[in-house]
Amino acid sequence: MDKESLINAYFEGTLDENGLAEVARLRATDAAFDEEMTFQTELQGALKKQERQDVKELFNAIKTEEPSKPVKVFKLRPWLAAASVALVLGLGSWLFFNSGTMDPNQLYEANFEPYDNVVHPIERGNQIEDLRDRAFTAYENKEYPLALELFNQLNREQSDPYIEFYSAIIHMELGDHNQAVVSLESYMAQDGVLSDRVDWYLALSYLKLGALEKSRERLQKVIAKKSFKAEEATKILDALE
Amino acid sequence: MKDEQLLAQLKKRDRNALKSVYTQYKVEFFKFATRYTKDDSLLEDVFQDAIIVLYENALAGKLDQLKSSLKTYLFGTGKFMLFKHFRDTKKQVYTDEEYSFDEYEQAVIEDVTADEGPSDYQKLLVANFKKLGDKCREVLEMFYLQNLKLAEIMDRQGYENKNVVKSQKSRCLKSLRGLIQRQNG
Repeated sequence: MDKESLINAYFEGTLDENGLAEVARLRATDAAFDEEMTFQTELQGALKKQERQDVKELFNAIKTEEPSKPVKVFKLRPWLAAASVALVLGLGSWLFFNSGTMDPNQLYEANFEPYDNVVHPIERGNQIEDLRDRAFTAYENKEYPLALELFNQLNREQSDPYIEFYSAIIHMELGDHNQAVVSLESYMAQDGVLSDRVDWYLALSYLKLGALEKSRERLQKVIAKKSFKAEEATKILDALE
Repeated sequence: MKDEQLLAQLKKRDRNALKSVYTQYKVEFFKFATRYTKDDSLLEDVFQDAIIVLYENALAGKLDQLKSSLKTYLFGTGKFMLFKHFRDTKKQVYTDEEYSFDEYEQAVIEDVTADEGPSDYQKLLVANFKKLGDKCREVLEMFYLQNLKLAEIMDRQGYENKNVVKSQKSRCLKSLRGLIQRQNG
């Protein structure tokens, strides 16, 4: 068994005593092997701890409710959310891109969609308690002027990067793309967890502002990352050529 | 919901299944456990940790042949953790403990109890992990969190060959190392 397979089998829990002894021997004698084991162990530990935190947040969000009352949570797994949005947009843009040429405005309209609330699950029917609840509720209800005011207030009280991200989406909804760019850049600088989404929205805002060169730059970044909206980005780039 | 169904969903990391365990058993657990302590915030912590232990052991396949009901397992875990807390804080010692957790399950209990959040390095790992593409995150989470074997991931992803998953996993780890290096350098 090669070393990589040995490590995989270790994490799969399929090694017998001899295999475990071999892992122990290599860890003591082969520095690169030991480093690889440490890296993967740390990664597993990190992912588990993150998962525990996520689960506890989920519990704490429903803690105050009546245990018997059925609740609905709107927290989609980020890639599921992205996938479903991509599917809808994919269909929409397929129809769109196959029906002739488009100008930047049309490209923007065909592609912009507010990002799902993946930060703060809202429990419907629950008494609205904190500012964050109110802000995200307004956001989800598409009451953007109110949402903007609440996010601004939230931004003054706490400085979590996601506030900038959602503020940017709201600015886009309200047609204030200069301000959206400022918020997105600021979010990017804070290295928030949704960073890979930011290039996409920046590209769209630049598109709307007519800054086509900047928009292309961002689209190329989206494509290079091969994840969120990469396909749509390719289509827009093609349409811009 | 039936135990088998709930367990199957927990093994898929289904958030609704976790919520369902929480809401279904909370009141009863509190009733059951108030004979040991009246400290509600302690009970809340223990209850949440007990579900996490149940969850992680389900993911590890330890509950595939569960003899008792899920509720009995959950309450047994909660009671064990509560007594462990009393022992660790030397408050009281109860003697009526009868459990059959194996080494692995006890290690999970220890780990969850001792978890004080991620280290700085682990935070760095998670932050960069989130920058990986969807496919990479999915494969690595299946492997490290859901405890799926490479062959099982192959089946779920519809690949024909285990080596495809193996090299994908290896590529994803390499990307993660690259992201971390870039951030540090």
